[in-house]
Formats: sequence, C-alpha cells, structure tokens
Amino acid sequence: MLKAIGGTALAASLAGCTALLGDDESSQSEGAVDVPDEPVQAGLQTFTEGAAAVLGLQTQYGAELAVQRINDAGGVAGREIQLDVVHEADAHVENYKQFVDEGKDVTFGPTSSGGHAALAPEVENQGVVNVGTDGTVTTLYEETVPDPTYSFRFQNHDVMECVAAARAAVDRLGADNIDTVAGINPNYAFGKDEFSVFKSAIQKLTGAEVVYEGYPDLLAEDMSTHITEVNDKQPDVTFSSNWGGDVTTLLNQAAANNMFENTQLVGSVLYSAVNDLSKDVVEQANAVSGSRNFYWGEPTPSRWEPGKQVLQDARDQWDIVPSAHFMSGYGAVAAWATAVEKTVNLVGGWPSQEQIATALEGHGFYTPAGYHVMGQGHQGLSNAYYGDMVWDDDLGAPALENISMHSPPELAPPPGTTASEWISSW
Amino acid sequence: MSNRSLPGLVSRDGETRVRVTKGLELTKRQSMLALVGLLVVFAIPDIATVTPSLQLTVVHQGLLFGLAAVGLNLLLRHTRLVSFGHAAFFGTGAYTAAVLAAKFDVASFSLLLIAAMVVATLVAAIVGYLSLRHTGLYFSLLTLAFGQLLYALVQGQSFFGSSDGLPVRPGAARQPLIFGLALDSEAYAVILYYLTVIILVVSLVVMWRLVNSPFGNALDAIGQDRTRAQFIGIPVQRYVWIAFVISGVYGGVAGALYAMVQQHVRPGPVLYFLRSGDILFMAILGGFQTLLGPLVGGVLLVFLQDVGRDVTAYFDALTGVALLIIVFGLPRGLVGSLRAGGLLAAATRDFRENPAVVGEWISAAVTGIVEATRNWLRDVQSILGVR
Amino acid sequence: MTGLETFVTHTLHGIQYGFVLFLIASGLTIVLGILDVLNLAHGELFALGAYVGFTIIGYLTGLVAPPTTLSTQLVFLGVVLLGAALTAAILVPVGVFLETTFFKPIYGRDEVYQIVLTFALLLIIKDVNKLIWGPSPLRLQDAYGGINSIPVLSRVGLTYPTYNVVIIVIGLVTVAGLFWFFNRTKTGRIIRATAINREMATAIGVNTGRTFTLVFALGAFFAGFAGALALPPRFASLDMGANPLVLSFVVIVIGGLGSLRGAFVAALLVGVLSRWAIWQYPPAELAAPFAIMAIVLLVRPEGLFGTWGEMG
Repeated sequence: MLKAIGGTALAASLAGCTALLGDDESSQSEGAVDVPDEPVQAGLQTFTEGAAAVLGLQTQYGAELAVQRINDAGGVAGREIQLDVVHEADAHVENYKQFVDEGKDVTFGPTSSGGHAALAPEVENQGVVNVGTDGTVTTLYEETVPDPTYSFRFQNHDVMECVAAARAAVDRLGADNIDTVAGINPNYAFGKDEFSVFKSAIQKLTGAEVVYEGYPDLLAEDMSTHITEVNDKQPDVTFSSNWGGDVTTLLNQAAANNMFENTQLVGSVLYSAVNDLSKDVVEQANAVSGSRNFYWGEPTPSRWEPGKQVLQDARDQWDIVPSAHFMSGYGAVAAWATAVEKTVNLVGGWPSQEQIATALEGHGFYTPAGYHVMGQGHQGLSNAYYGDMVWDDDLGAPALENISMHSPPELAPPPGTTASEWISSW
Repeated sequence: MSNRSLPGLVSRDGETRVRVTKGLELTKRQSMLALVGLLVVFAIPDIATVTPSLQLTVVHQGLLFGLAAVGLNLLLRHTRLVSFGHAAFFGTGAYTAAVLAAKFDVASFSLLLIAAMVVATLVAAIVGYLSLRHTGLYFSLLTLAFGQLLYALVQGQSFFGSSDGLPVRPGAARQPLIFGLALDSEAYAVILYYLTVIILVVSLVVMWRLVNSPFGNALDAIGQDRTRAQFIGIPVQRYVWIAFVISGVYGGVAGALYAMVQQHVRPGPVLYFLRSGDILFMAILGGFQTLLGPLVGGVLLVFLQDVGRDVTAYFDALTGVALLIIVFGLPRGLVGSLRAGGLLAAATRDFRENPAVVGEWISAAVTGIVEATRNWLRDVQSILGVR
Repeated sequence: MTGLETFVTHTLHGIQYGFVLFLIASGLTIVLGILDVLNLAHGELFALGAYVGFTIIGYLTGLVAPPTTLSTQLVFLGVVLLGAALTAAILVPVGVFLETTFFKPIYGRDEVYQIVLTFALLLIIKDVNKLIWGPSPLRLQDAYGGINSIPVLSRVGLTYPTYNVVIIVIGLVTVAGLFWFFNRTKTGRIIRATAINREMATAIGVNTGRTFTLVFALGAFFAGFAGALALPPRFASLDMGANPLVLSFVVIVIGGLGSLRGAFVAALLVGVLSRWAIWQYPPAELAAPFAIMAIVLLVRPEGLFGTWGEMG
C-alpha cells in the first residue's frame, strides 16, 4: 500500500490509509535533508459567509482535515502546516497579495470562477504557488493564463462536469429516450457556461432539441416561472447547475409545482445541498446528481475504506455530510503536500516555488476520492461521479445510488483542443 | 524681502502664501501639510515594501475610489444632490478600458484613459438628463436604479464577460503599455501608481478651480435655493447637468485606472449598488464640505475594509460603527473635523490640556447609553400599549 | 398543459410575487412617506425577520403534529402564520430601539446623514445576524411542504402551490388592513396628518415624536413579517437583504415616493409584468424590473401616484 500511494507516511495518511500502516513504518528520509524547522504557512481563500458559504465552509473543513492529517503524520518533510483561512469576498487578488506579503509558502482557493480568472494572472506575476480548489471556469487555462507556471487547479473544470452530466443522462435514460431537454441554471457566467456545454454535449449524443432555457438569479426567491415552463414543455431531461441554497429553492418549488412528474432532473452539483434537503423533496425529485470528483460512498466502502472515514470525520468534527467541495479543499492541500514531499527528497532540501511548481506538473497522488493527476496543463484530472439522489435514513440526508464513474479521457478535451472543438468532433 | 514677490510666493494680508495657480494660494501651514501629504503619498510604494500590513494596491484603490468620490462631491457639496449611482460611471470607465483591452487589444494607457473619459461623459450625459428631472430622494433613487440597470446589462451580456468579467491584459506584454513601455509587473504597478498621483493632483487642482469659478458659485446658489437661482438668471437645469457630467467623468477616469491596476474587471466590485454607496460614504467619511475629504475618506474606507477583513469576521460592522461615529460625532467628516474649531480638534485640545477628560467622556457615554435604554423601554411600552 | 392554464399559472406566479414585493416595500414606503427617511437597512430588517422566523416557526412547528390529515394540516398552517406574526411583533421593539436611539437625533439634519446612518445600520444588522445565526444559510424544514400538502387549487385541476395561495390571501388582508388603518382609525389619520404637515400636527396637539416612533416600528413590523413569510420556500442567508431592498426601490419609484396605494399597484405591476417577461424572454430576468421602471418613468416621471399626503 505504501508503495502504491507514493511511499511516505504523509501520502498514506492523505490517501486515508493510516489504518493500513504499522505504527513505526515511517519511510521518511528526513535525516538526510536540510529542511527548516518553522511551520509551513498556508493561506486559503474561500466563501466563509453568505449563500456561497454552503460550498466554501465545506472547502475550509476539507482543507483543515487534510492539514490535521498531515500534521498528525509528522508534517510535510517534518514541517507542520499552519492554515490561515480568509473570506474571498470580491477581493481575490488582494487576498492573495496579502498572503504573499505575509510570507505564505503556499496559497489555496478560491471557490468563485470569476475570482479565479482575476487571480490566476496575478499568481503568475507573484510566483507563489496557488492550488485552486474550485473556480472551475474552463477557459482559465485555455485563454486567461494559457501557459501557467504557478497556478494550478485541483477540481475538475466545467466542461468535464457537464460532459459527465450528458453521459450520465444518456446512460440512465438511453439516447433514444431523450428527445427534448431544458435548462434551469443560475443567471451568471457559471450557469450559462455549464448549460451551453451540456447542451452541445447532449445534442451530439442524442440529437435532442432544447425546448427551454431559464436563468433564475442567484439567490432568487422565486423560480416558479421557470418551473411552470418546464411543466408546460415537459422535456425528457432538465439540466440544472444550481448549487447550494439555490438547489433547495429549486427542488422545493419544483416539488410544490409537481415538476418532477413532467421531467427528469439532472444536476451537476445538486449534491452540494446535501445538508439542507428534506426527505419528501428528495424522494419526489428522484434527481440525478453529479458530485464533481468526490462522493464519500465511492468507491464502495467495502473496496475503499477512506471515503467512509472522511464521512465519519466530517460528521464528528463539523456535523456535516461532506460534499465535493469538501474534497476541493482537501485535495488542493494534498496535491501540494505530496508534491513537496516528493521534491524534498529529490533536491535534498526545502524546494523553491519554481521547483514545487515543476513537481506539481503531472504529479499523481491519492486522496480519499481516489487517484488524481495534476495534468501538464495545470488542470487536475479526476474521475467524476454521478448518481441517483435518494434519501438515506441512517444518514438523515440524501445519498447517491447507482453511481456512474466517468474517467478524465471521456470528459476532458485532449491537450491543445478547446472544449467546443472537441465536442463538435464527436 | 517680504515686499518682493518671489516666483510662486505672494504676500497677502501680511502673510506669505504659496501660489499654486491663479487664485489658489496656500498659507504656510497649508503648504506644509500639502507637501507632507504629497511626500507620504509618494512614499507609499516604499513603505508598502517593508510592511506586510500595507498593500500598494489597497492604497491605490483607495485613491481611485477617493477620486470618484471627489467627483461625486461636486454634486453633493455644491448642488446638494445625493447621487446613489456613481458606481455606474466608475464601472463605465472600468469596462470601457476592459472591453477595449480584451476585445480590441488596445494596449495604450492614454488611449484607454481617453476612451473611458469619452464613454463616461456620454453615459453621464444620458443618466444625468434622465435623472436630473427630479431632486431629493427621487434623484437618489433614480441614479441608483440606472446604476443597477447598467449592472444588470453587464452581468447579463457574455460580451462583457458576464459575472466572470474581463481581463485587462492586452497585447504581447499582457498589460497596458505606459508610454509604449513594456514593464515588469512590479515596475508597472509603481509607475501606474505615480501616474495616478499625478492625475489626482491635476484633478484636484481642476476641481478647485471649478468650484471657485463663477460656475462653482452658481452651483452653490442652486444648492441653496433652486427657485431663487432660477430667478437671478442661472440656467439651473443646464448647470446641474454639466456638473453631473463632470462628476461622472471623474468616476470614469478613476474606473479606467482601476481597471488597469486590477487588470481584471468584474461587475460586482465596480457596478453593484453597494459600490455606489461606498463612493458616497467616502465623501461623507472624509468630510464632504472639503475638497480633500472625499479622497481621504476613500483611502480610509478601502483600508478599513481590507484590514477589517484580516482582523475580524465582523468587518462590516466595523465599517458601520465608523460611519455611525461620523454621523453622530464628526458630522463634518474627518478632514472637516480636523480643522480648527472642529470636534476632533477640540477633543484633541481638551485631551492635551487635561488627560482626565477621558473619564468625563466615558461617563458621558455611559449616561447616554442608560438614557437611550430608558427611552427605548418607555417607547416600546407606549407602542405596545403596555403601561 | 393548455395555453390558458399556462397563462393563468404564470399570472398567478406574478400576483404572488407582487404581493411578496408589496409586503417588503410597504414598510419602506410608509417610513419614507412619513419620516422622509430612505431606510437602506430595510432589507436587513427583512433578513432579520427571516432569521427570527427561522427560529420561531421552526420551534412552533416542532410542537404540533406533522400535517397529514386535514385538521392537522390546518393546525400546521395556523402555527406557521402565528410564527410569522410573532416574528413581526419581535421586530417592533427592534424598530423602536433603532428609531429612538439613532434616528430621533438626526431628523433635522441634512438627509445625506440619514442615508449614511441607514447604511451603517445595514452593515451592523447584517453582522448581528451573523453573530446570532452563523455564516451559513439556514433552511426551514417542512413548513413549505407541509402547507403545500393542503389541497386547494388542485381541487380545480390547477397545479399551483398552496403556500403561494396563502401568500396572496395574506397580502390581500394586509392591503385591506393597511388602508383601513390609515383611513378609518384615529391613529392612522394622525399619522397621515403628520405626513402632510408636521407643524400643523404639532399645533393641534399631536405628539409627533411618538408618531414617528410608531411609524418606524410599523415599518420594521412589515419588514419582519415579509421576511418570515418569504422564508419557507427559500432559505435565510446573510446576503438576502440586498435584492429585496433594490426591488423595493423600484416598486416605490414606480408607485410614487411614499404612496402606499402606488406601492401596491406598482408591486403587482412589477410582479406580473416581470413574470410574464421572463416567461416570454427568459434572459430578461435580471433587467426586467428596472426596464419596467424606466418605461414607467419615461411616461410618468413622477411615478404612478402622488405622494403620501394625497392618498385616499
């Protein structure tokens, strides 16, 4: 096992495999290298308040769990990590510069796509590695920073998520049974991007016709106009990239208007509302939800214990069911820490930002979500999960069933190809 | 010596004054203050490199929002019109620069700035024409509504990058070119900062000339009494409209510079109505009866928000309390209160003469709180009909 | 769905949305019309109402049987409405506190200070909500679904949530109540007299200070009521106050500043027209209310109705 996950106690603990390790089975080679004693200073920016805190707090907790595990396993090459968390607000660049001024060794975040697009070029200027948690806008490494050095992103990007949604819908319903599709997506860049990718992917896969697209504002109190239109058009599939509180609003109001009798809802991040949904609504909805690159119950606990352990830790410490955004925080920290530890042994000392950045390119590592590769294009590549959202009485929250797993080659355009070129080439 | 006028020095009422421009003369104390102020402003980039708590961009942003507030203050101080939509012009300036840079690859600093001025003039002319038909709260609400309309348009159009916004990284250098020079990012930031300071000084002098011209006097007359101003032959509508446009142009210039500093523009930080509120409150925080107040207020509010975020999760309340202090304690704003006779100046004097005065202040505060609680209980009882 | 059914459902959505807007805007317009204060903190009072409602309604619905039979459903409905009323009542002392402590000293001052004051309160109330209820959004479990389980319009074959019907009914009752209060009761007439002419009201022995406090408390009452009623279908979050505030501005500008009748007509107009607009042209979502406002103002620059004093 140790060998499989990269050879060190740290990598093992981040993969969630501590249970499999003997107590003194440390394969650290600390004695040989010259590493400073003081703790590693890390900064994370995410949404710690407001509607988006549904996502951001998960990210914060995930990052904190990873840091705990690293520190319990003796730190990164013996150095403890101290994590400083700030609210990303609309000050992504300022937050990052503040981190740099404070002498942070590494930065993580943000959650917002727009914020990430503003931030990434500044990361390239300042040269302190930033491992993005979410901020999943696809064009980040296609247009905004086409040739990144210090900016990385752990979570899968929008195109992967939406192509997975289209494939999941086709898997479940069959291409022949999808003739019409509709969309109810949040009224900002993310929602529009997501539906446009889903639309082109599902049209390629099934030849379906788009009968309605509506864009309720973020935090909209009332989505009933869109719901009534779906009831009227009765599309075979309705796609939604609503997240957090907007998922509960949509599901509650859709249930109240009997929308689920008229369509099959497929959502890319419905499961982000896992801690806020009620049983009757989940059961009526019978929705298909994505969960980005992590679902705690997959691979099934009988084959892969770590996911279950994350669920347990998240429940014990924060009383939540972890969503994909939990793993965004966890995985970003894990990616950096494992890459650094690898490099320490290679260079025989604490690596520079440049060396860390080089090590992160193409870096493969395990987390409780499974195996990830930080691609050459600085984009993390992981399996994506979709499942039927059902109510789990033991959990007191929704769970996903009949999980379908989609691997990166099915979801992401090959290097050098844009998403739209790639999809139209199918 | 005192009888002979040195270049730049004049003698008036037995005092030597520094002559800056026609009509603008400063006393010794004022010129010293101005000089020190300028030196501090110029030294900021150096100070920022040694203290992690002070960021150049934060001060820079503060100055730019302050510049927009100086523009807004032309309306507020002289015509007594409270604009609640000045983010519209700031945003127009920022988005003009961003659209030209991102969609048309315009890299020249001066071109971006001039274009922003032109577009801001147009937008301010239209918004001003429509909203100046009203005064008072109606005017405030109309400016707010037009600001939100603009925000909704930008947010809804993918041409403007929707909520993700647009990068301001034109050309091969991936940054606007200042006088055709491609600079590394640190030099770019510092030079842009100094350019901002120069533009700022020029803008302040222009504003000073403006408010002390016959036009400025006419605006004052309009602010005091519109009807009377009309009677004495001032073309009220036209003058107010011109003032509105000028005030919008200041916002546009500030916005364009902001876009070049941030190198990325998003609708939330530049167009949302809370931004309009910020710009207004900067003017009041610093003191809207003064020329420099809004600028000081801008730096202070931006700094407060930035530092506040690091210090406490309740940084919004921190700003709120600062505003309450202004409303109840320092109604003339910081700069206004620092002047001789101001509350802040008086308090400092009292304290210097007798530090025990702090005790009095505390007991006054406690009495005030007790009094307020008692009033509140009485009023609740009377409203709820409980005796 | 038939074309007529679709049309009726969309229109009902609009009417319901209009009443929600009216409930929010009514408090703002009363305070504006009589105190001449544009209360930017009104949206935060609305949010405070949602948070208080979360606690109170959540507690009360926990006490009664789950809504399964018609009688338990009606009890459940009654309890939710009681919770909303209690929430509104709790906002009254809050309003009194704000008015006596902060507003009273500055009525005579430049209106710009009033705007700064209300903005300061906006920031502070938001953080008070954060302090008490935490940074994450909160959802009221069961209330929305529970009330929707009562069959009302489904009896005539129309798919329409019962909760929305309840909102429309409550909105109608509130409108009627407000007009009755301002036209038929002594207190209401005194308030209107004060709005028309403060000096005259003082001269004939009206305690204007008390009247002002009452009016502000009334504004807070309706903000809280609206917040509690808006909560069940959605969730409470720290940033929920901004949107309703801006939409209330739109409503009172269209209606005519400070006119209650204007606010009512404008709220329904914005509600129905914006829902129709989104139905016909979904991208209009964000801009629809502002576009409606711009059009109305081009036709009638002073809004649909005059100001408070002239309302009948």
